[in-house]
Amino acid sequence: MGKNVLLVDDSSTMRKIIGRSLRQAGIDFDNIYEAADGLEALEVLENESVDIVLSDINMPNMDGISFLREKASRDAIKDIPVLMISTETGDDIIGEAKALGAIGAIKKPFTPDKVNEVLGPLL
Amino acid sequence: MEIQDKLIEATREIFSSMVMMEITVKEIMTDHGQLHDSITGMIGLAGTHKGVLAVHLPYAVAMAITSSFLMMDVEEINEDVHDAVGEIANMLGGNVKAILSEKGRDIDLSLPSTIAGSQYSFQSDKQIEKMIIQFDTGTGTFMVEMDLEK
Repeated sequence: MGKNVLLVDDSSTMRKIIGRSLRQAGIDFDNIYEAADGLEALEVLENESVDIVLSDINMPNMDGISFLREKASRDAIKDIPVLMISTETGDDIIGEAKALGAIGAIKKPFTPDKVNEVLGPLL
Repeated sequence: MEIQDKLIEATREIFSSMVMMEITVKEIMTDHGQLHDSITGMIGLAGTHKGVLAVHLPYAVAMAITSSFLMMDVEEINEDVHDAVGEIANMLGGNVKAILSEKGRDIDLSLPSTIAGSQYSFQSDKQIEKMIIQFDTGTGTFMVEMDLEK
């Protein structure tokens, strides 16, 4: 069975660009699921088989930090790895994300090479 | 490096890596007057630095940028254009936050918003320090504006 990824970003443009960057980086997923905020992301994780999540931090309804906190409290999904992709790259915020289980971070703007460099070894 | 230079560098990086467009600085301005047939993406800053970061794009430039961003033809100011312009403002806001706050906890960013119209003003009623940089895309110009409360 192939791998599935969930892209979480309130910008549909950014979700398209991240998906395109994955393909340009030569990283193939069987399914690319999308969610516009943390609440939608939790619903996808509860209902679909997802191998890795790429998530923004600043989002309406439920932001990336709250999403990580809520995900960590749910046994069925708490071990699914999350990589942050955000304009928020301050040490404090990324530190908080990592303390809540995020496995790394990619800063926006990014290139397909950067996505490959960070995500490739995690797959 | 001065804030202005860092803002120029950040804008160029966003356009070269995400929009696939090389841009050059055309002019440093102190006022842009009324905006015509344009779309503005903006993001608010709160905390140790208060203000707004905005990108003002004439419709034609906004559509060209969105087309390049999404790799598809865009021929009207639609939801995709608003979303793309908002995301450019969001990335610029994140960069400005990193410029002004090393660790990132003493400045909060709003979510991006956009406005568009045939004629509108973009101004503050606060005492602000205004920085406006006009960039040339080769197919037209656009402006990045940072207004910080004094």
